Amino acid sequence: MLEASGLSAGYLGENVVEGVNVQVAAGQAVAVIGSNGAGKTTLFRALCGMLPVSAGRVRFDGEDITGRPAHRVARAGLAYVPAERHLFPGMSVRENLLLGAYPGRPDPSAFELVLDLFPRLEERRKQPAGSLSGGEQQMLAVGRALMSRPRLLMLDEPTTGLAPKLARSAYEALQALKETGVTLLVAEQQVPLALSLADRGYVLETGRIRLEGASEDLERNPEVRRAYLGVA
Amino acid sequence: MKAVALDGIVLGLQFGLLGVGMTLIYGLGGVLNLAYGQAAVLAAIVVAITLTAGAPALVATAAGLLAAAAGGVVIDRTLMLPVYHQRGEHRVLLGLLLTLGVAFVIDGLLLWRYPTGALRLEIGGEAVPILGVRMRVGSLLASGISLAVGAILLLFFRATTMGRAARSVIQDEVGARLVGINPAAVRTFIFALSGALAGLVAVTRSMTSPVSVTAGFDFTILALIVAVVGGLGSVAGAFLAGVLLGIVSTVSAFYIGQYITTIVLLAATALTIVMRPRGLLGR
Amino acid sequence: MTAEFDTTVDSEGAPLGVSARPPRSLTRAFWPIAVTGAVLALVPLWLGDSRLMMGLAVDALVFGAYAIAFNVIFGSTNQLFLCVGALAGVGGYASAILADTAKLPMTVGLALATALATALGGLLSWIAVRRSLGVIFTGIVTLAFSLSFANLVLGQRELTGGETGLVVAAGEGTFLRERVAAYYLFLGLLVVFLVVFRALERSHIGWAFRALRDSELAAELAGVDVARYRIYAGVIGSAMLGITGAVYAYSDGFISPSTFAFGHVDVRVLVMLAFGGLGTLLGPVVGTVVFAVLDELLIDFGQLRTVVYGLLIIALFLGFKRGAVPAVADLLRRLVRQARSRLGRQP
Repeated sequence: MLEASGLSAGYLGENVVEGVNVQVAAGQAVAVIGSNGAGKTTLFRALCGMLPVSAGRVRFDGEDITGRPAHRVARAGLAYVPAERHLFPGMSVRENLLLGAYPGRPDPSAFELVLDLFPRLEERRKQPAGSLSGGEQQMLAVGRALMSRPRLLMLDEPTTGLAPKLARSAYEALQALKETGVTLLVAEQQVPLALSLADRGYVLETGRIRLEGASEDLERNPEVRRAYLGVA
Repeated sequence: MKAVALDGIVLGLQFGLLGVGMTLIYGLGGVLNLAYGQAAVLAAIVVAITLTAGAPALVATAAGLLAAAAGGVVIDRTLMLPVYHQRGEHRVLLGLLLTLGVAFVIDGLLLWRYPTGALRLEIGGEAVPILGVRMRVGSLLASGISLAVGAILLLFFRATTMGRAARSVIQDEVGARLVGINPAAVRTFIFALSGALAGLVAVTRSMTSPVSVTAGFDFTILALIVAVVGGLGSVAGAFLAGVLLGIVSTVSAFYIGQYITTIVLLAATALTIVMRPRGLLGR
Repeated sequence: MTAEFDTTVDSEGAPLGVSARPPRSLTRAFWPIAVTGAVLALVPLWLGDSRLMMGLAVDALVFGAYAIAFNVIFGSTNQLFLCVGALAGVGGYASAILADTAKLPMTVGLALATALATALGGLLSWIAVRRSLGVIFTGIVTLAFSLSFANLVLGQRELTGGETGLVVAAGEGTFLRERVAAYYLFLGLLVVFLVVFRALERSHIGWAFRALRDSELAAELAGVDVARYRIYAGVIGSAMLGITGAVYAYSDGFISPSTFAFGHVDVRVLVMLAFGGLGTLLGPVVGTVVFAVLDELLIDFGQLRTVVYGLLIIALFLGFKRGAVPAVADLLRRLVRQARSRLGRQP
């Protein structure tokens, strides 16, 4: 569904990611793991059009979307939830969700789906997004992305600022989501959680893909275990 | 006294309408548009010309509004591009300076071509008694239009998808992009809308007193005052501030004098900024 | 927004974009002022016979002084004071009223008027600083002040002559009313302002100015009391405006609201600095000369003059962030450096 080939991108003329090849097949959950500064966010931004690409191509469902502006990528069915979330703070939870469906009319079943997934949001419907707790904001950010019924959902470090218990329930929600058929691409520092959800994974280190494979293989890989799982 | 108060409300509604266009551009576009008054004057001149050419009032009005809206679009698509590349204070400053330049260009051109140009719309009909005060039909029509437009705008921004999308751009531009909203398109729309509103103010104002080609900067300052006091970015705030300031203005002009009245309005603006920068209803 | 992080470097090694450090040695720092002063001193030899031309030359110098003051306030500390004309007007009207109506001696009138303008300008700075008003809100508040002052003058007709203006009796019969003498007086004032500007630049105050212009947050963290330095700039600039306005009133003999109006003064100062360069030493002078010439050339254009100014404002602020002349100077410097290095490489 999503394919990046030879992707390089960066800031102020310097490449942060170099020559990255990533494939996400429909219905899969794929994880990109790496530590801070590895380039996960840069990669994601380049994929969805928030950052200009300096080399390489990005294809979504066969269509070349390299360099397409972010709002058009969003309309094409690729929803991105950045680590900073970028909610509309002065607008209510409900309004944030309604805007997620832009430009179409909000689909009532999408609304249902989101509220089923995140019942806490139902209680907070009228509250301004800026007044929600970190965990609730994360739920809202994902919920908003889901309102457009995306074919591919990209999440950048969805567990940022979440207590371990909340992080686990976030991944449970993502698992439920995956079972409804949404394709997922997740960037994550918390490797065990990511690999528990994902079918396949990529290890990103200083801007390049170092390893890739099925998540079980990665979990067993000694380098991965040493670097990311804290196992000698 | 009642007459003065009612006149104040009539004036205030026009103030409100005037302030709305300015507050939208700042609140949603992040730009202080100093050429705003010139948009109003441009519309007035276009309406005047079309009327003298024999067109019916509604057509002439439409022509004026369209001219002002078109002007807004042109400016947004050309001059404002470098402005939008900037962020925060640099954006506002550059926008302010560039629109000031535009204001001079339009002002100069209009004054040069139509040095004595003015728009006067005579609305016939018997004066109507409201609460015991005889109000001219022109005043009532102008007030009615302002109220109606105000209500429509409030509804639009609060309850429609387009309106919500417009609000979202200033709340979080990145977030807006992520949900598929094109901030540039929204800004162009806001500029056009603001131009049309400026034009509408010129038309409604001309129903009560003539709008001359020299009125540009006065309109801009007034719009700025109302927008700041009401809260930059708030439609309801602009109307509330407009009505309050309209009443204050009429009462002060009646009992004290014109110059002091202007100073009072300016002082209200400065005080708002210093004491309560978000204005009456701003965020 | 990369202009602020421009890494091109000038001959002293200071980064451009943020204004360069002033020269260290005393001679290098002040000789441009001396030369400028000397050159401008020659003008009466050329124009001295025409009372009209000398009058225009005096006006040009007055605007030059205004521009330097604005340079101190906005160029140095980014405080958008849209009340240049009004502060000068405070100086002008106060000095005229104190001398004519209150019958105070001219020197006293001058001192008090300047003090008043300084106090008002300092107050505006203080308010802006205390309430953390950004550039825009500072601009709006000062604009409100400017317009309020104009309306005050218009309203208090008995005291100020209102719209028709005020004939200033004080100064009549003195050398102040002679165009050539007045020219040298204002030239002296201009040179003093330039010296003050340069001296400020070279002092710890100037260092603080550069720091807070570059990054306010970094400056605060480095221990620079941004608030205090902003107020210094406001006070010094306002004093310059006040004294210029006061001397102008005595020297010209006639002032009116339009003499000090926003549309007349502030806009021109903005265009002048857009040409000459914000934050540079001679920027205001260059801008003054260019503008004076331009004004003369356009005199027959009537309303179209306004159009030209508008276009100039747009072109200049679009094209050059800190001014046309600095940008051109920058370009020339780069060309010279390229040429030099190319010559150096030849066998």
